[in-house]
Amino acid sequence: MQNSIKLLNKYISVNLRSQLQYRLTFVFEVFGTILLTLTEFAALALVLLKFENIGGWTVGEVAFLYGTINASFGIMDMFFSGFDPRNFGRHVRMGTFDQLLLRPINITLQVLGLEFQFRRIGRIMIGVGILIYSVQTTSILWTGEKAIVLFFAIIGQIAYFGGLFIFGATITFWTIESIEVVNILTYGGSDLIAYPMNIYPELLRKFFTFILPAIFLNYYPALFILGRPDPFNFPPYAHWLSPFAGMLILFFSLRFWRFGITKYQSTGT
Amino acid sequence: MASIIAVKKLDKHFKVRKFHRGRFSGFQNFFTREHHLVRAVDGVNFEIQSGELIGYLGPNGAGKSTTLKMLTGLLVPTGGEINVDGFVPSKQRKEYVSRIGAVFGQRSTLWWDLPVFESFELLRHIYKIPEKLFKKNLDEFRELLELDTFINTPVRSLSLGQRMRADICAALLHDPKILFLDEPTIGLDVVAKERIRQFIQHINQDRGTTVILTTHDLSDVEKLCNRILIIDEGKLLYDGQLEQLRQKFGGKRQLVVDFFENYPEATIEGAEIVEINGARITFEFERDSIAASDLIGRLSSKYRIRDLEVKEPEIEETIRRIYEQQLLK
Ligand SMILES: Nc1ncnc2c1ncn2[C@@H]1O[C@H](COP(=O)(O)OP(=O)(O)OP(=O)(O)O)[C@@H](O)[C@H]1O
Ligand SMILES: [Mg+2]
Repeated sequence: MQNSIKLLNKYISVNLRSQLQYRLTFVFEVFGTILLTLTEFAALALVLLKFENIGGWTVGEVAFLYGTINASFGIMDMFFSGFDPRNFGRHVRMGTFDQLLLRPINITLQVLGLEFQFRRIGRIMIGVGILIYSVQTTSILWTGEKAIVLFFAIIGQIAYFGGLFIFGATITFWTIESIEVVNILTYGGSDLIAYPMNIYPELLRKFFTFILPAIFLNYYPALFILGRPDPFNFPPYAHWLSPFAGMLILFFSLRFWRFGITKYQSTGT
Repeated sequence: MASIIAVKKLDKHFKVRKFHRGRFSGFQNFFTREHHLVRAVDGVNFEIQSGELIGYLGPNGAGKSTTLKMLTGLLVPTGGEINVDGFVPSKQRKEYVSRIGAVFGQRSTLWWDLPVFESFELLRHIYKIPEKLFKKNLDEFRELLELDTFINTPVRSLSLGQRMRADICAALLHDPKILFLDEPTIGLDVVAKERIRQFIQHINQDRGTTVILTTHDLSDVEKLCNRILIIDEGKLLYDGQLEQLRQKFGGKRQLVVDFFENYPEATIEGAEIVEINGARITFEFERDSIAASDLIGRLSSKYRIRDLEVKEPEIEETIRRIYEQQLLK
């Protein structure tokens, strides 16, 4: 295990160096994501300011949801890029995955090390920035408990979306056509939980509660931290459930991934 | 002696999706999932002893790479058994791959953006190669493969021949017992091919490494391998020595004779004239029906001979005939 961590470190530093070799691209991409996330949020804020609230939430409160998920999705994307179905599908087709299987190290670790994306730092920074803005405008009363809930929420979000990446990557062993369905769950899901869940139709909300439990990732922790009442009458510990929801998805995705490897067909030549 | 590789009734079948063509094909492809089965490897048996250097031959799409992918644990067989040095390759993957080396000629195992030497350094960590061994091996391979001129160049800027040499070196740094090479000389010039052949031979003889290589270049096989396996359409057609294959299917031998004078009608029993070029006549004769020495005796009793040469059929020609006329089936 210790050796694995050391190796992962090495892989990551190799990646960093390769990425820095194309320094200009790197800089452009970091600024690109910063600009993109900022524009998105600015557009949202403009709409919100006009309506004053969304589902009863002020701009500052929505910014809490928005900032948190952007920061944790950015962190997830940085670590799990190797599993991003679009990247991973390419590696399968190009045969890079074959080469990984020939090395005597844990395969999951190698895929993690394959594409460590430092350029996601832009999205993380913006996410944190928006979160800070939210904390200032809503004047949250911080307690130790709230800080821990936020930390757990982020852990859960990383695990959840990392799990979806792994699930999508595994599907590319069979088909690259159905990948878009998983991408909708991943990107659509992360967009969805950037807003208060009470604005959605019941069916959609139930899907993201009972099938894919994304409601616990961001919404419940935010309700608790912002001190808002729960409109759905969930048990009072619901804001602690984010890591469990995340680990559940990650766990099943990893099982599926292990199974997928045994069905892996490689490529013709 | 127990064999180091044992393959029994090995199968690999691929389900390949059928795509429709023509009008409305996109529509049809979207709604239907028809498959057909490709028997890439079909009931293959063989055993290989430690220290052998085996050539694995067959036309395009015969199943060579698929076999090698199963032997290296990349693919799980559809049926049959593989045992390599006590391992089932697709199980215990990590333990197994640290004992073998593999190069799939079309692809590099090295890090695209890293200088060659740093890729090797990374492999040292990955395979946990003791410092001393690493240095000893690298020094030896550097010299034999002449890596020094490009050892600090990033892999992406290497020529094909350089990349192949770097890859072969990388596959051997951890002292594997068995080396799998899929088309190690593909696309290389004559000099580069020769260098790689000599190196493979050296590794096999000096270290006793068992080597299996696939190739389309028969001079690789002629120079390196005393045993060959031929596969076609997934079935193993031949397992034995190259020389025997030549004798069995080699077809006609040729006798090229330079006479002192022009003999336009120098006929001789047991041989056919295939070419007359001034005083040089080329005869063809069946290996089984007459010995070369008899033929020469008959000729020299009638004509004055300056020089002569017996030519074996080209091995390329032999193998081509075997594939085309399906002589082994
Ligand atoms: N991943 C795959 N999926 C589907 N079919 C495959 C796959 N890999 C190989 N095949 C098919 O299996 C057969 C054997 O392929 P293989 O690559 O083993 O041939 P080969 O002997 O290495 O040929 P070549 O000399 O061209 O490299 C071919 O018909 C090929 O199309
Ligand atoms: Mg091949």
